Amino acid sequence: MAEITPVELSPEDKRRFHEEAIPLLDSLYAAALRMTRNPADAEDLVQETMLRAYRAFDRFEAGTNLKAWLFRILTNAYINVYRKKQREPQKVSSEEVEDFDLYQELKNHDPEFTRSPETIVLDSLVDSDITDALDELPEQFRLAVVLSDIEDFSYAEMAEIMEVPLGTVMSRLHRGRKALQKRLWELARDRGIGPAAHSKASIDGMSSDGERR
Amino acid sequence: MRESCKETLQRAYLFLDGEILSENERADIQVHLEECSPCLARYGLEEELVTVIARLRHAAPCPNALKTRIASLLEQA
Repeated sequence: MAEITPVELSPEDKRRFHEEAIPLLDSLYAAALRMTRNPADAEDLVQETMLRAYRAFDRFEAGTNLKAWLFRILTNAYINVYRKKQREPQKVSSEEVEDFDLYQELKNHDPEFTRSPETIVLDSLVDSDITDALDELPEQFRLAVVLSDIEDFSYAEMAEIMEVPLGTVMSRLHRGRKALQKRLWELARDRGIGPAAHSKASIDGMSSDGERR
Repeated sequence: MRESCKETLQRAYLFLDGEILSENERADIQVHLEECSPCLARYGLEEELVTVIARLRHAAPCPNALKTRIASLLEQA
């Protein structure tokens, strides 16, 4: 796939590519890993992206946003090459996500809020819970969350990278976060969180773990 | 959830995402969040989620072998 064609970049462009693009490899890899959901494909995708970017670098406009430019190449490469061979995760029903209100769920669970709502769910989760939940999101939602919350792109940059209107960016991002909240809440609840669940926490925790792993 | 709460939260999430809001808009959000504890809690939950996701930035750095491979491919390119 990564066939090598000779590139005629000026020495100055070559130097700039090494100085400016190479330091972004960690960011590109972090995003590629969440897009492809496996390290081998993520490595291939990053390599493909860097080769494509290198070949096209004479067309990159100096002074514009290099990170956004590289991420557009990454996103295109992912869509054209890797998405085809990957299994889409189960669709999250839009209405189901739209109506989900974590605040209300927590209030139903513990009307007195004996702990602050933020800590009840998220304190019980580790990084791998977050990546698992993220990996289960439909691709468009996942991409929006990754670009915004992991890579810190603005809505306008995301619109350019994803090639969709600003309103679509916002709706995908917020539905994606809501779907994540729902998934993480279910996970925490099944493990047994909060005072109301303390007595059966260990039993729930064991059975849900047994099913998941 | 009341419509005014929904609208305020939508603006508040823009603020959370670092999007530019006018001074008036920011003031309106602040007043609403001070007076409406469910909205303040919802905002806190969103903020916490974003913080937790941001931790993944450093969870898996690019493997060194890949960095080396890319550097040598670029040399040949």
